[in-house]
Amino acid sequence: MDIAGGLKKLFSFRSSSQTVLPFTVLFKKFRSILERNNLILELMADMGDKLGGEYIFDSQFVIDGTGKISDLVFKLISDLCVITQSDIVDLFVAFERIQFQIQEELAGRRAVPVTKPVLLLDELNGDFSEEAGNKFANLGDIRNTLDLPTTDGFVVTTRAFFDFMQANGLFKIVERGLAELDLADESALEAFSHDVRGRILAGNMPRHVTSAINSALDIVCDRNRGGPLCFAVRSSAWGEDSEFSSFAGQYESVLNVPRKGILRAWREVAASVYTPEALRYRLHRGYRESETAMAVGCQLMVEAEVSGAMYTYAPVGTEQEAMVISAVWGLGVAVVSGIAESDTIFLERNPPHHVLSVEPGRKATKMIGEQGGGTAWVDVPAELQDKTCLSANYIQRLAQAAAMIEKYYRRPQDVEWAFDRQGNLFILQSRPLNVKPNQPERHMPHIDNVALSAQVLFSGKGTVVQGGVASGTVYVVLTDEDLKDFPFGAVMVSRHTSPKYSRVMRKARAILTDIGSATGHMATLAREYRVPTVVDTGVATKVLKTGDEVTLDAIQNVVYAGTVKELSDFEITQEEVFEETYEYRMLKRVLKKITPLNLVDPNSEIFRAARCQTFHDITRFVHEKAVESLINLSENYQRYHDKKSKRLDIPIPLGLMVIDIGSGTNSWPDAQSVTLEQVESTPMKALMEGLMESGMWETAPVAVDLGSFMSSFSRTFSSSMARPEDVGRNLAVVSDTYMNLHLRLGYHFNILDAYIGEELNDNYIYFRFLGGVSNIERRSRRAKFIADVMEGFDFRVEIHGDLVVGRLKKLSRERMVGRMKVLGGLIGYTRQLDVNMTGDEMIDFHLADFMQRIQVLKEVSEDAPMCGLRPTNPGSNSG
Amino acid sequence: MPPCADCARPTQVLILDDEPIVCKRLKPAFQKAGYEVETFTDSASALARIAEKRFDVVITDLKMEGADGMIFLTRVKEVYPDTGIIVITGFATSDTAKESFRKGAFDFVAKPFKLGDIIDAVRRFEESRKTA
Repeated sequence: MDIAGGLKKLFSFRSSSQTVLPFTVLFKKFRSILERNNLILELMADMGDKLGGEYIFDSQFVIDGTGKISDLVFKLISDLCVITQSDIVDLFVAFERIQFQIQEELAGRRAVPVTKPVLLLDELNGDFSEEAGNKFANLGDIRNTLDLPTTDGFVVTTRAFFDFMQANGLFKIVERGLAELDLADESALEAFSHDVRGRILAGNMPRHVTSAINSALDIVCDRNRGGPLCFAVRSSAWGEDSEFSSFAGQYESVLNVPRKGILRAWREVAASVYTPEALRYRLHRGYRESETAMAVGCQLMVEAEVSGAMYTYAPVGTEQEAMVISAVWGLGVAVVSGIAESDTIFLERNPPHHVLSVEPGRKATKMIGEQGGGTAWVDVPAELQDKTCLSANYIQRLAQAAAMIEKYYRRPQDVEWAFDRQGNLFILQSRPLNVKPNQPERHMPHIDNVALSAQVLFSGKGTVVQGGVASGTVYVVLTDEDLKDFPFGAVMVSRHTSPKYSRVMRKARAILTDIGSATGHMATLAREYRVPTVVDTGVATKVLKTGDEVTLDAIQNVVYAGTVKELSDFEITQEEVFEETYEYRMLKRVLKKITPLNLVDPNSEIFRAARCQTFHDITRFVHEKAVESLINLSENYQRYHDKKSKRLDIPIPLGLMVIDIGSGTNSWPDAQSVTLEQVESTPMKALMEGLMESGMWETAPVAVDLGSFMSSFSRTFSSSMARPEDVGRNLAVVSDTYMNLHLRLGYHFNILDAYIGEELNDNYIYFRFLGGVSNIERRSRRAKFIADVMEGFDFRVEIHGDLVVGRLKKLSRERMVGRMKVLGGLIGYTRQLDVNMTGDEMIDFHLADFMQRIQVLKEVSEDAPMCGLRPTNPGSNSG
Repeated sequence: MPPCADCARPTQVLILDDEPIVCKRLKPAFQKAGYEVETFTDSASALARIAEKRFDVVITDLKMEGADGMIFLTRVKEVYPDTGIIVITGFATSDTAKESFRKGAFDFVAKPFKLGDIIDAVRRFEESRKTA
């Protein structure tokens, strides 16, 4: 279907006919965009919930759910199409692309990741499991997010695997072979496996993959000159080391491979996908061939003095829990494959990780990497054979690193590690450890006791977005700047929800916000990253301060002071809820095309239709563009003058004409004017009431000093300096829930676009303030004052010179009304204020003055969260 | 936690759903909650089984190949009027719900559902039987 061509035709038709749709029609489209936007977010949240393991669903549910979402997204784009023409073709193209990928997933066909054939370890994190396999995606987290020491290297991606298999015609051979295979016939399975592996070992590597591998080798070898340049070549297949199946030991690893042997080693690892054991394992677990792909990681070898494995959680007896380390001299193969004796060290799970017991093994031989490649077993000197190979210092460092990884993944870990001769620790890999606590039930009474003894800071406030338990240090985020320094493992506390917080999702252990919605963009992200999150608590930033230690129990919705150990232990020992089912994996894969949000910041370079990678991206993009277009459209309101306007009769001389596009007023149809009582529009009523009730308008205009006077005189002809008598009528377009206001007062020009209804997610206020007499310093001071006030009331504010733009979204109707009233007061207060802004200290003076006087509005004095700048009475609000 | 403190024998549950995932997930969940469970993915085998054994609770999907859930439900009620029947279905309309209640179902759960929901439904049935 050539959507793009069709659309071009449609647009050329539109522009030639010069059809201008009535504003009412456009506004209806805008409303429908808002509604669909919410439906989509809710459906995404609903499907995301099903990944939590609590639900039972079948594949039909996944098919139906994605069908509904994709239908809504398509209609969303079509709606935007009516409102605006820009970028629409790109949007449909993006939609088609995503839709195709989802259909391929649902049909059980291989979804080939769009990526380079080789990725450096520096580029990886947990989001790369499709491209790099879980093992190396995890290692990317460990290296790049946790900053733990790992060796340099790169991954030959699953894309390269596909290209290799395709180029050698091997997928067809495998498919045909498996279809004909009698699975009960062991010898046939062996023969099939032998044949496929032989073909892989003899296969030709596509040239683009070979050259990508060589470039990566050049980079890594160049960076590590002087060291030994042999590699560990390890499997990192789809599903391997995942939450539900480890595939442990199913696939090949080749150690100490010199540069010239990398391609050969890659083939060996790739061939291990089709060993009889791996084939049986997948068949047994219900994996389909389309779910099979192998990424191969190549890491520099550590010249290991001692290496081994560490379990961060091991039941000891019936009551105690511990960490356990297995260690050997040399390379760790002996530990992992269990072929030789090793030291076993038990230590406490909690810092300072006291050693509980040491059981030295007789380590008669060790594996070493040989010069020039390959490995060999050599004898261990007699005096070292019974010696414990880890010092107390090594044990400590290892325990701390492993505990950090466990906290990051919120699951017990199986960590492979090595120390080199210089005593440097390297984490080689880490996989989730599927342990069941020895007595799961006993945790429940513990938690009840805890609830009695730990100090509750607040409970039952707001909405739980993502369940779970987490402890950590509070870090309060007030501005985007704060995000830059967000410490790993902190509990994020903020006023709002914002998709911008995705930047720190990987670092945050929990999220608490004062306001925000459970179906907003950030909530979706919190679910995606499984960060325990509670929004709309009303009190988080008041009660919690940066540096506080807290524990959030987002199952019971309680915030405790301090680290409640019993709860944090409960978190990682919670029984495995994820199911090893095809349906679960299918949902997870499909959601990857739907819920991740890449278009986070509207001001960024990548906020473009062509960059939409998921339905969430499209939804976000359309929403942003729709609001923008509506504001643009209403600025050109003359074109949409199909409605008769009426004068607003109020005591304050605003010169305001009102166009009602739907239940915004209840005056007689033929009336020339409308009174404030007849205004039904929620945003407009609130704004006007704020203007009147705050009493700010009554302020006598500030005397204009000579400097300001001269300044205004000299700028008479500047276009931004329209004088009041030059200005046409002020205009408001309203409906019951909507207002678009263009207001010129004195020398100030305000644009206000707002929607306030019952549905939290629809609500927004957009406020723009520009212009004014006097010099730029004074105007900038006034801009600063306005920005400070608005930030105090939760607006996101941008200042460009003397232009102030404030945006506010997704608050309840009551809170939106309160803020609208504040804006009313602000519009009154700022009349000619700039002439009074003689010094920077005046900003603070006026800020304090305004905040004091605005308390006259009961919405301000009564709404607790709306008190960002109000002097608070310390101690009056302890939870 | 035994479902019935007074009786030694655990409540016997039969689950019939042609989606293997439903059986695969419900079985361990019910076992963990102290029930004895048998699962079937085709109605013919389930029908054969109820001819041999009486179950306290039957959980069945409605829409299936072969004899559908409604027929199975009717058959179970004929043989064991006391057996509690809980219907699960992805095609939840008020009509099918009414129909299954008319045929004697104890409760109706729409897919997708939470494990807790269906275990609660079974517990409610046990309670109602105790008080009856």
